Order: sequence, then C-alpha cells, then structure tokens
Amino acid sequence: MPTQKKRIAINFGGGYVPGLNSVIAAAARAAAELGWETVGICDGFDSLLFPERYPDGAFLDLASLAPMSLDYSNGCILGTAAASDPFHVRAISPENIVEEVDRSDDLLRALSDEGIDAVISVAGSRALSILHKLSRKGLTTVCIPKSIENDIAATSLSFGFNSALSFLAEMLERARHAARSARRIGVVEVPGEFAGWLALQSGMAVCADAVLIPEIPYDLKKVAQKLKGKADRGQGFGLVVVAEGAKPLKAQSGPPKTADASLRVSLSPGATGEEGPHVIERSGRAAAEVSRELTRLTDLPGYPLVLSEIARGGVPTVVDRQLGLGYGAAAVRALKEGHSGVMVIFEPPDINFISLAEAINKVRAVPSDSEFLRIVRALGICLGD
Amino acid sequence: MHDNSLKEPLRGLILNIQHFCTHDGPGIRTTVFLKGCSLRCKWCSNPESIHLKPELAHNAGKCIGEKQCGFCLKNVCPESAIYVVGSGDRPDDKVRINWDLCTNCGKCIPACPTNALYLFGEEMSVDQVLDEVEQDSAFYRESGGGMTVSGGECQLQPDFLAALLAGAHERGINTAIETASNVPWDFMEKVLAHVDIVLHDIKLTDPERHKKWCGVDNTRIRANLKRAYETFPDKKFIARTPLIPGVNDDEEHIRATLAFLKPHKNVTDYELLPYHRFGEGKYEFLGAIYEMQDFTSPDPETLKRLRAIIDEAFGRNG
Ligand code: SF4
Ligand code: SF4
Repeated sequence: MPTQKKRIAINFGGGYVPGLNSVIAAAARAAAELGWETVGICDGFDSLLFPERYPDGAFLDLASLAPMSLDYSNGCILGTAAASDPFHVRAISPENIVEEVDRSDDLLRALSDEGIDAVISVAGSRALSILHKLSRKGLTTVCIPKSIENDIAATSLSFGFNSALSFLAEMLERARHAARSARRIGVVEVPGEFAGWLALQSGMAVCADAVLIPEIPYDLKKVAQKLKGKADRGQGFGLVVVAEGAKPLKAQSGPPKTADASLRVSLSPGATGEEGPHVIERSGRAAAEVSRELTRLTDLPGYPLVLSEIARGGVPTVVDRQLGLGYGAAAVRALKEGHSGVMVIFEPPDINFISLAEAINKVRAVPSDSEFLRIVRALGICLGD
Repeated sequence: MHDNSLKEPLRGLILNIQHFCTHDGPGIRTTVFLKGCSLRCKWCSNPESIHLKPELAHNAGKCIGEKQCGFCLKNVCPESAIYVVGSGDRPDDKVRINWDLCTNCGKCIPACPTNALYLFGEEMSVDQVLDEVEQDSAFYRESGGGMTVSGGECQLQPDFLAALLAGAHERGINTAIETASNVPWDFMEKVLAHVDIVLHDIKLTDPERHKKWCGVDNTRIRANLKRAYETFPDKKFIARTPLIPGVNDDEEHIRATLAFLKPHKNVTDYELLPYHRFGEGKYEFLGAIYEMQDFTSPDPETLKRLRAIIDEAFGRNG
C-alpha cells in the first residue's frame, strides 16, 4: 500500500492529564511504520507562535525520543499550553496598546513552512473548538479527546479519565480512613463542573456515604439524615464526595457575595442585577459550603478537602495506556485514509472517527437513567435527592 | 488593530451610562463608560470594558432554559455557538455559549425573550449620549457636578470623545475624564482641549513593574502626562492610584509618584483609591475566561500612613 511520505506534527491543547506520552509513542510508531516522519510541537502552538522563546526550535524529533516516550514517570515530553489560542494572542501594538490579535494565519503559514502535512492534536473540549476553526481554515488535523472529567459526549471514554478516577478512588479511601480515625466527616471535592462522572464513579468505588453531582441538585438535609443515622449506630464519621459543579436544590438566599452592591455596580457596569451572572466560583467552594452546612446539621465536625489539579498528575492506568496507544495509532490511520477535521472516538469495541463539527458543543452529563445511578442507589449511597 | 473609524455621524462605542456617581470627580456626576482599553491590569474587575468592539454576554441567571424556551437554539446562530449541557433531562438546562465560536454578531439577541442574551457595547451618537446625560443637569448645578467619561480607556475613541466633551460644554455641563493615558499623544491633544478635570491613573512608577501588572511598560504614559501638564497649564489634573496590596502599596511608589507630580502646579491632588475585592476569582465572560488574580484590600493602617505622606507633600496637615 504505497502512501505518500508525510511529515506530521503532534501537540497537546488544554490541561495536562496523565499518560500523554503513550499517545505520542503510538502516533510516532504508527507513522514510522508508514515511513512518515513525526515531530512534536512544544507547548501547544506556542513554539510556532513565539519562535523567539524557543531557541532550540519549535519541534522535538520524536523518532529519536521514541524509546523514552513510553516512560511515564517524568510527565509529558512535550509541554501543553492551557491557553494556546491562535485566534486571540495577546500582543503589544506599535502604539503600545495591548490587544488580542488573530494569528491563525501566521500559525498555518509556520506549519506549512516547516513542511507539516497534518497535525494530530490531543485536545480537551475547548481546544476541540479551536482545532475545528483551524480545520475550517484548511489545516489537516485529527483530534484525540482528552478529559479527566470524561465529558466529551462523542466518545465513550476520553483519554485521562480512567487514571484520574483510579487516583481519586485511592485518595478517597485514605480520606475515609482519616475521617474514621478522627471521627469526622470528610468532604472531598473532585473535578466535574458540568458532568459528575468522576464523583459518581469514584464515590461508588469506595462506597462513600454520599455523592453530590451537578446533574442532581442536592438537599443536605437528606445527607445529614443519613450521616446522623450512622452516628446513632456508633459510626460518627463519614465520607461525602462533591463534584465541583454540584449545586444545592434551592440556592440559599444568603448574603450577596459583594457586600456593597453599589460598589460592584460602579466597578463593573456590566455586572448589574442580583445574579452576578459572570462570576464563577473558585474551586474549593463546593467542599467548603457542603462541609460547613453538614457540620451545622449533624454536629459532626467536617473537613473539606479539594482534589483538583492533583488528579492531573501521576502515572497512567493500564486502561489509559491502552487507550492512548489505540487513539494515537487510530489518528495516524485516519490521516492515511484521508480524513481531516475529525476526532477519534472509542465506540467499544471499535475506534472510529467523527467530524469535529459534530464533536464540539456536546457535553456528556450523567443521564437520569444511568446504570451508575441505579447501582449507587442500590448500594444505599445518598445522592442528596 | 483596534478600530477608530466609528465615523459618520460620529458614533462611539458606549458600555454604560451611570447616573448619580459620587466617586468620579466633584459633585454628583453622570459617568459615561466607553468600551475598549489599552492595558490589561491583572486586577481588572470589569473585563467587559476591555475590547473595543460590541460583545455578546449571556446572563445565566435570566435564561429560562431549553425546555421552557430554547428559542436561541433553533437555527438562530450562524456559528452554532449556542448549546446545552446534557440531554435536556438535567435540572439546569440553561444554554451556554461556546465563546471560541461566537463572533459577537448579535443575531441571537432578538430571539431571547428574557434578555438573557444581550450585547455589551452600543454605538451611540454624541447627541444621544448628551440627551441622556442632560437629564440629570439639575443635580449637577446643585452639587457642582457634571459628566465624567470613563472606560476602559475613553481616549481610545479620541474623535468621538472630543466631540462628546465639546458638546457637553456647549450645553453648559462640566467635563471630566478618567484615563490611564496609554494612548498616542495626538489622541490626548485632541481630547484634553475639551476637559475641565483630568483624573488620571498612576498605577505604578517603575516601568518593569508596570509591564508585569498592566501588560505594557509606562514609558509612554509618563511622557504623555508630562507633556499634558505642560501643554495644558490651565487644566486641573488629579492623579490617582488604585492601591493594591503587594502591587503598589509601598512608600517607594507613592514617593516616586509625588516626585513626578509635584513640580507641576496644575496637578492639584493625588488620591489613593483603596482596591476593593470584587467577586470570587474568575469570570466567564465574552469569549474568554479571565483569570482574575486574588488581591486583598489594603489595610486601613497602610492607607493612613501612605495618605499622610501625600497630605504632607500637598501641605495639608492633620
Ligand atoms: S452573537 Fe454569537 S452566539 Fe449569538 S448568534 Fe452571533 S455568533 Fe451566535
Ligand atoms: S432564548 Fe434566552 S431564555 Fe431562551 S433558552 Fe435562549 S438564552 Fe435562555
């Protein structure tokens, strides 16, 4: 099967997840089998947009690094760039004015100058939209879904989720030991702004007392009832897992966040009205609120704990290693078959492709008829409803 | 590059008009906020004022969701930038905006019955703005107030701003501007001719620190201010520092600022504006998530100590 020799580049957009090296290794090997060359782009697209910051060049030669790329102990050999958005690059104009400029054309030119035929991008949901726009502008690209929250709807499993899940379950186990010894309620916040998979599955794995997810608004009285019942039986401790996006059933009519509303208005004319619509809570809010309220309701001391960024580090599980290898190889297969503007998806038992246009804007939340919810309820784990 | 060609008839991009302000110059004033800024200060608490273009905003608090409404989801958006999380069976079925795809075209706005979708930034003519400002003119006369034009950086729209200020003068309204002065000198030259009071920031004195916290160094700001003091000896200038702990709440900055100001008799005061923490950390907004760094408010002791230095320099004792 003669395929034209290609030079392909691989990069990462969005936050770090464990085990990215397996994707690199797989893509490099699969490409080498076809006689193609693979390079890695450093730090998202930054090394192409800001060549002056990369005196050693924008690329890493993956062929020479392939042997060490499967070493998972040292993080990812290519950097990621959480905010690598070529459409809004902060720059200073000759007039000394700070502005955000669209440098997507510069990027495409830099790629073609370097003789890059295609880009394989390991992308979180935001980066998928950016790659979609680049692909509409003519970039040949295949994306690999990456999300520790597993909230990219088009694939049944995003890269990174399984490793984060295993790590969190282990940490929850420890949190429970600590709670039991100290006779307290451990309230552990885990990632999941819109989708509660991590909280649900890790909480289920350790049989937590309660799991609160964004999909099910919670009533802490229900949780308190359960914990008090336990305390009455001599078990005055507990473990509650909260997804960062979990919300109370009725948003308590507490004091407004900024004491002086007029001040807020004068500082930010857009932020008028009571809702303060544009404020996103900082991570840690969910655990702090739930812990405070549960302590009030149960008289058991609570301690909030936040496991957010820490779930992004560490060594990948075997599931993620296989998934990474599978996705990397499939991305090269997609290019060989002439696809572009697609994302590889895992539809067990197969790895298939769908267009980026279909992949974006779809967040997989936990549906109300999820088997996981059934199991969790059957186990007597409280969902706060 | 930002677009200054909002001509024919002269129209400006207005973010907001706020009535009965008491912090933006003498008396009771009406403050007109122009959209667009040339700095990116890390403590900025109104990111909606940054870009010199109209921008879509979505107020999730007002959105009644896909099941009850969903009008904006029905082939309204040419970019497919509006979506909902999940499959419609979750309690929170409010729509969301994919800010990476949204082009701020505004086509979705008329579809929304609750005004959950709206635009930041409206083009208005000089007379439209002044008609609104003039409604409060009775209060200005009573209190010695007037109109203050703020931002963003109001001087990024120099032609409109100059016309607005001149128009206010024609209607007998006192004028002030709030500016950081990071604009080309010819912009300032156009504008200052029509201003009674210039409230200008001196956020930091050291160029490196200015660059770190505000995005660019302050060489041009200093050159502009010096030239402004000298070119317009009859105007009243009031310097201001938004005081932020860990950024500029040190004596060194205050003394350096005083040394810069004091030789100029038309700089009549130097005010410290204690920074108030606003919001909780980050804002989802208009095409980007702005990470606002955590800053605290200055403690009263520091404020008192630094103000004493200024009072002494201006010969006010006790
Ligand atoms: S303003 Fe944005 S979301 Fe609304 S229709 Fe235009 S592109 Fe779509
Ligand atoms: S039209 Fe407005 S209220 Fe209705 S779903 Fe869309 S944003 Fe929400």
